[in-house]
Amino acid sequence: MKIVTRDYLFARGWRSAAPILLLLPGFGLYLLIAVGPSLATAVYSFTDATGIRGIAINWLGFENYDEFLFRGAASRDNIAALWRTLVFSFFVTTIQFGLGLVLAVLLNSRLRGRTIFRTIFFMPVILGVAIQGLIWKLFLLPGGGPVAEIFSWIGWSSEFLGGQPRQAFAWVIVVQIWANVGITMVIFLAGMQTIPESLYEAARIDGANGWQLFRNVTWPLLTPAVNTNFLLNIVGSLQAWQLFLVLIGYRPGTQVLGYLVFAEGFGQTSGSVSSAFRQGYAAAASIALFMLVLVIALAANAFVSHREKKYLS
Amino acid sequence: MTVLNPTPDAAGASVEPPSDEPQMDRSGRTAARRRKLFSYAILLAFTALYVGPMLMLVLTAFKSLPEFFKNPTGWPESFGFGNFVEAWEKANIARYLVNSVLYTAVATAICVFTSVLVAFPIARGYLKGAKYILLLYVVALFLPPALIPQFQLILNLGLFNTRTGFILLFLVNPIGLIILVNYIKSIPRELDESAAVDGCGYYRFVFKIVMPLIRPAIATVTVLHAIGIWNELVLPTIYLTSENLYPVTRGLIVFEGLYGSNWPALAAAVLILMTPMLVLFLFLQRYIISGLTAGAVKG
Repeated sequence: MKIVTRDYLFARGWRSAAPILLLLPGFGLYLLIAVGPSLATAVYSFTDATGIRGIAINWLGFENYDEFLFRGAASRDNIAALWRTLVFSFFVTTIQFGLGLVLAVLLNSRLRGRTIFRTIFFMPVILGVAIQGLIWKLFLLPGGGPVAEIFSWIGWSSEFLGGQPRQAFAWVIVVQIWANVGITMVIFLAGMQTIPESLYEAARIDGANGWQLFRNVTWPLLTPAVNTNFLLNIVGSLQAWQLFLVLIGYRPGTQVLGYLVFAEGFGQTSGSVSSAFRQGYAAAASIALFMLVLVIALAANAFVSHREKKYLS
Repeated sequence: MTVLNPTPDAAGASVEPPSDEPQMDRSGRTAARRRKLFSYAILLAFTALYVGPMLMLVLTAFKSLPEFFKNPTGWPESFGFGNFVEAWEKANIARYLVNSVLYTAVATAICVFTSVLVAFPIARGYLKGAKYILLLYVVALFLPPALIPQFQLILNLGLFNTRTGFILLFLVNPIGLIILVNYIKSIPRELDESAAVDGCGYYRFVFKIVMPLIRPAIATVTVLHAIGIWNELVLPTIYLTSENLYPVTRGLIVFEGLYGSNWPALAAAVLILMTPMLVLFLFLQRYIISGLTAGAVKG
């Protein structure tokens, strides 16, 4: 049996097994810990698996899905979490996209200190959710914290992350955008650097003003970066939930689907091995989230390729 | 969302941004100046949102606890390092740091090394079905999350709450593999031909010639993967229950649970763990970028 193609240049015969021998550890690991488990999620969603080793796992059919979507108070909470996920995603996507674009436009001009600004806005990305979350918990300290002080000057008061669920939820949106707008900005900047300066010059000679330059040169030619950011923001925000864990924990009225999966499968704030954790049910919840992401991502992708045809053909 | 994005950062590129001011008459010049002031105003307002939380953290770390309760926002009375000593001792920071370094170094080394060995024959089309193997890495980004079956796998291997089991979770990186494949494609195939003609074997070619040549891409993938592991919070929360196995992220959250109201000590702990990351970032920012743009230019 031949493993290598006709293009293969090195010694043949038994020694042509070399590429596959070297490839196997990496590819094997990939199948074992990424692709395999990923596909197995669907299988587990039909069972009553728990977090304990050695307990028999039974086949339940669509039981988990039925319970997740249609049965009792819990299912109403689940549907509410689903809506909340969409609300979270909508605000994060639109605001992060808009702010990222504004920052990129400002930093793409000849301003003194633009590298410093860019570094500052990108910095949280490198810190990770644990530190991002703790920094904002402190910054949003109710009663005497900096934000509370500023609010009190204009007569507002807020319990911030400890307040009403709606309020706490809104603050998580703020922190999520704060933490990730740097990525959006950097992708836009990379896109802007590919636009040739000569186009701007030509447009200027034709008498275009700043807005017209943006509208007719930057925006259409930025299409690849726009599309990338649009898709990344949608998918990323639908799946994001870790700042909820750090900032407010598992509070009724604030959960999004991602946190729900974690809480059902592993407990609300910390993982451990326990029969109380319904991993089959959690797998069903994670398939539900996956379907949601898939449908929205496909719709967004269709929209984006339509745009691409309009601008880049 | 993590920083695992293959898009080249604009930062390193030396292209000059479009100039705001070609030859302009006087009124055009004041308009440009006004626009500049406006830009600065917006940028500085945003900067306040980024510097403010950091400043609060630093100031808090220097206050005593009673001082913090009395005056959370203001300037500290004196700058002592008592909180840092307390945090270092009580939060087990040294141990968490050792764990994080160990997990990050071992997992990243294995991941990058094995990924190169997968990426090379795929990029060259030396194996039958190479296209499908690559496709399998691309679709990974659109597959359902692996969380639950992964847990069952580690549990049934008896690796729950062990270093080995935890490291096992971080041994693959599909995006990193795609970056490597794209970079290898930019290396001329003639190199393979002349090496083969000279009688160089596959192993030697891959280890002695390909690996040094793709160093920029290796550096990029290494940095991206390492940052992802270092900052991971959920997986240590799920898989590690013994405190002496915690990495820094999990350690910080546990310390917060115990010392939640002692913000000065907590702030000091955050600052201790954040500072090396920030310093590293200032160096690596340029490094990541140069690696990515080098790959783009060579193609």
